[in-house]
Amino acid sequence: MLRLEDVTVAYGRVTALKGVSLELREGELVSLIGANGAGKSTALKTVSGLLRPLSGRITWDGEPISGLLPREILQRGIAHCPEGRRVFPHLSVRENLAMGALLRTDSAGIASDLEAMYARFPRLKERAAQAAGTLSGGEQQMLAIARALMSRPRLVMFDEPSLGLAPNIVEQVFSIVQEVRREGLTVLMVEQNALAALSLCDRAYLMETGRVVRAGTGTELLESSDVREAYLGGRAFAA
Amino acid sequence: MDQALQHLVNGTVLGGTYALLGIGLTLIFGVMRVVNFTHGELYAFGAYMAYGLVSLLGLNFYLSLLLAALLGAALGAVIERVLLRPLRGADIDSVMLAMIGAALVLQNASMWAWGGVAKLVPSPFDGMPLVFGPVSVLPLRLFVLGVAVALLLAFWFLLDRTRAGIAMRATFQDPETAALMGVRVAWVGTATFAIGSGLAAAAGALLGPVFMVSPTMGDLVGLKAFAIVILGGLGNLPGAVIGGFALGYVEEFGGGFLSTEYRDAFGFLLIILVLAIRPQGLVAAKERVG
Repeated sequence: MLRLEDVTVAYGRVTALKGVSLELREGELVSLIGANGAGKSTALKTVSGLLRPLSGRITWDGEPISGLLPREILQRGIAHCPEGRRVFPHLSVRENLAMGALLRTDSAGIASDLEAMYARFPRLKERAAQAAGTLSGGEQQMLAIARALMSRPRLVMFDEPSLGLAPNIVEQVFSIVQEVRREGLTVLMVEQNALAALSLCDRAYLMETGRVVRAGTGTELLESSDVREAYLGGRAFAA
Repeated sequence: MDQALQHLVNGTVLGGTYALLGIGLTLIFGVMRVVNFTHGELYAFGAYMAYGLVSLLGLNFYLSLLLAALLGAALGAVIERVLLRPLRGADIDSVMLAMIGAALVLQNASMWAWGGVAKLVPSPFDGMPLVFGPVSVLPLRLFVLGVAVALLLAFWFLLDRTRAGIAMRATFQDPETAALMGVRVAWVGTATFAIGSGLAAAAGALLGPVFMVSPTMGDLVGLKAFAIVILGGLGNLPGAVIGGFALGYVEEFGGGFLSTEYRDAFGFLLIILVLAIRPQGLVAAKERVG
């Protein structure tokens, strides 16, 4: 469904992705793990059109999409839930959700999706008229996820959805990610919490300094000794 | 007391157009982070367009005001596309210099096109004031206030209640995430500058029949627009409305009770006071649009 072939991306003179290839099949949950600065977020930003690749190909259902504008990518059904939540702080919760549905024109569908989001995240309904900047970190993450889903995507990309959240909220976020996937969406998730990411996903890619260094099922990567040493550590398993 | 009431009425009329001038400028700053030195010139442009359409082309007065505002918006869109878009990401000094240059070009162009003699836009309102007890007001001025308030309300509705307005505010808060939601960020820049410019031109066209229209009128008006925006807090829209009315009242009461010659100075005295005591502006708790 989504395929990156030998994609290279640079910020100025710094090359952030060096010939990355990866693939997502319909309905899969795929994790991208790796240390800070490995290029995970860059990969997502390149897919969503915020960054343009220097070389390589990105295809969606076989059609090339590299170099398209973010809105054109979104129109094709790829939503990007960015790192750090990035809710619009001075817009109300309801307005933030409306931003998620900006490109849709089916007002009845938008209204019913809004109700569905409120049913799934009751806290957002309680705070519908409140400025998003006044929400707690966990609530903001729920809002960011709901906002991404409001575009009715086929693929949703989550960038570090657990970052900076309390452990019980992290659990909630991961269960939502699984729920979204069970509903038939394809999910690409970037996570620093490698243990959680690998246990949730069907397949995963391990990135190091702009390259994909390992690929496999979640279980395979969980069991590989180099992943365990570098990203999981003894403590994660002991816990 | 009667005299104070009269000044209150006059100050309200003046404040309405000042508010239009202020929200245009503060919107452009809030959304685009551009200090728009052409604002006063767009006001002058609106006034001259109204003059040209009414006096030279003989068009209907109301239609001319509408067209003058739209032409102002169009000129704003051109300035944004030609000057500001190529400078996106440039440092603030370069952008300011470009805008100062554009203001000089606009002012000299209107000098060249219209000559140095002041003009007055003829209006269909007669010169007999309406008298309400101790207060009298010219019908033309009531019309100006009515249109200014209607424009302020329309603008508030656009920004607060429509999808386009939400997208505009979202872009101001986080352009990259707004792009992820499907906003054409570059278009928002053009639309914002056009709307701000259109409001300035509308203010100029509205006051064209009240005050004389001259090529250098944009200088003082531009300064006043900055005064209004500073009073309300940079980028603060309700603040700009309050700042606009505050400036109108201060000028009117200062001019009426203290000194007519120093009328224009009172506003600037007020700014010095506000900057000394409350540098974030009269209303601003924090910087925001909407």
